[in-house]
Amino acid sequence: MTDTVLPGTLDASAGTEQGAAERKAAARTAKQANKRSASKKRRISRAALTVLLIVVSFVMALPFVWMFLTSVRSSPEIFSSDMPMWPAEWHWENFTVALERAPFGIYARNSFIIAVVHTISNLVFGSMAGYALAKIRFKGSSVIFGFILASMMIPFYAIVIPEFLMIRFVPFAGGNDLFGQGGTGWYDTWWALLIPGLVSPFNIFLFRQFFISTPTELMEAARIDGASEARTFVQIMAPLIRPGMLTVALLAFEAGWNNFLWPLLVTSSTNLRTIQLGLSVFRQEAGTEFNLLMAGTTMAAVPMIVMFFFFQKQFVNGFVGSGLK
Amino acid sequence: MSTNTVDRQTLSTTRRRRVPTLTQRQGRWGLLFAAPATVQIALWTGLPVLVSIILSFTNYDMLNPPEFLGFDNYVTLANDPVFWKALGNNFIMAIVGIPISILISLALAVMLNQGLRGNSIFRTAVFLPHVTATVAIAMIWLWIYSPGGNGLFNIVLGFFGVPNQAFLASPSQALPSVILVTIWQGIGLKMMIYLASLQGIDQQLYEAADIDGASAVQKFFRITIPMLKPVTFFILVTSIVGNFQTFDLIYNLTNGGPANSTTVITYQIYQTAFQQFRMGLATAQSVVLLIVLVVLTIFSRRITGGKDD
Repeated sequence: MTDTVLPGTLDASAGTEQGAAERKAAARTAKQANKRSASKKRRISRAALTVLLIVVSFVMALPFVWMFLTSVRSSPEIFSSDMPMWPAEWHWENFTVALERAPFGIYARNSFIIAVVHTISNLVFGSMAGYALAKIRFKGSSVIFGFILASMMIPFYAIVIPEFLMIRFVPFAGGNDLFGQGGTGWYDTWWALLIPGLVSPFNIFLFRQFFISTPTELMEAARIDGASEARTFVQIMAPLIRPGMLTVALLAFEAGWNNFLWPLLVTSSTNLRTIQLGLSVFRQEAGTEFNLLMAGTTMAAVPMIVMFFFFQKQFVNGFVGSGLK
Repeated sequence: MSTNTVDRQTLSTTRRRRVPTLTQRQGRWGLLFAAPATVQIALWTGLPVLVSIILSFTNYDMLNPPEFLGFDNYVTLANDPVFWKALGNNFIMAIVGIPISILISLALAVMLNQGLRGNSIFRTAVFLPHVTATVAIAMIWLWIYSPGGNGLFNIVLGFFGVPNQAFLASPSQALPSVILVTIWQGIGLKMMIYLASLQGIDQQLYEAADIDGASAVQKFFRITIPMLKPVTFFILVTSIVGNFQTFDLIYNLTNGGPANSTTVITYQIYQTAFQQFRMGLATAQSVVLLIVLVVLTIFSRRITGGKDD
């Protein structure tokens, strides 16, 4: 390394005024050289870091690349023992073949309906409850909040059996009598898919957090101006937490689109199957035809990936904000 | 609703028509706003918890009325080696997988915190597995682990002269293979949380350390690591809780096999309830899961200093 200039070696003409100026100049060049070498070092380490990150990103993304490459392979290629890394020919028709074998369009539509309904209901009921708990004093609010906090702790898997039984034994539904006997209740109906997930305690909690940070003065001003509580909420307070709304919307949509166990339990007919469930069933039907399975997987995964690209920042904020607070 | 404040009101309004006070009016609106969500959660979370606990003391097959058994179901579980195996697998997945993914995600977060160009691309790549549904992820890895020699892993191993491996079909390799997927899938979220808290660290700490002539390594171990301690605990406990709820991956990747080598507690609940229709026993398993998770959650609240209030 040529970068270290020792100050002592330049001290020859010390004492004179000219010497002082020279010394200053020398010191300046030395400093600059130091800076330059430091930035050079930094550049090298940053380049190394970038390369490392590219490698890591590639490894993380590789399964998706592999999924896509497989989705366009021919069947003989899949079964050949010396399958090339890169598909020899691109068989886009795998997607249409997969669509013929399983109605992924219907599955996707069903998932979309569930995701949208749950997004809207979580936004409406969650924001209302969150607003009430954050900004309105009322008797019982602390009890309700405690209850919401406690239910956040309840894992879905611990209550899935009673939830299923409730769906099955809903009175007067699906041929059931008053005591839920005799029929199938809401089993294999839209009600079963939609009703239990209308609002999650976690989203109420998130909304409460968002509303706590909004200015109470605005709310009071609106009240003084004679706005009703409902109007204050809809026109003044709710718009203040728009970023929070988007976060909850994304979380709710993702949960709806990616849900698996609940649709698996409460549906049996094809036209109520969701995309994840359809994919799982398709795997058993398609057997080892991985090119078709990967075409189906691509169709199930791409909507969320596209959405993530569009709303990356909100997604990240949502996840981070939801976990950290 | 109004009965809460009615006492004070009746004293002063014996004759006049009662006009609700501002607080009263607000109180009504508050309850009205909170009611739909509260009723919904009481019905679909509160009630099921009670039903779960009650059913766990019964023998119930959905066709005949439940029959009270006392603690028999819990005794059965205590003597069931497969249930213990499932619990054990959950613990192994947690103990092996979580520390590895925490270390990787911390390293990635530190690297991504350097403000390099292309940051958002790297972030996206690492976070993508978290956004994708676990079912889709299971399908992809099923293919990567394909034992026939055309699975990606066997192709790569083939380059190094390693013979074809069974991976998910081998009782000894299946669980490690599953753990690898959980690590890959879990890095993204942890990395994001670390990244957020790294950006929250006061830069003055580093500047002060610079003046004292601290090296990058010293700064990392003396400042960064201690400052990240609370969030690390948080990630640790939430990851353990999340790990005990693994289901989609197991269902679609291995069905708990081979020879129960990858079965987990949620898969046991599913099988007992919806394949054997032993609802009483399955709810007892649910209650065990509930207790484990409530303990872990309370533990996490303590450590992170209480989530709220």
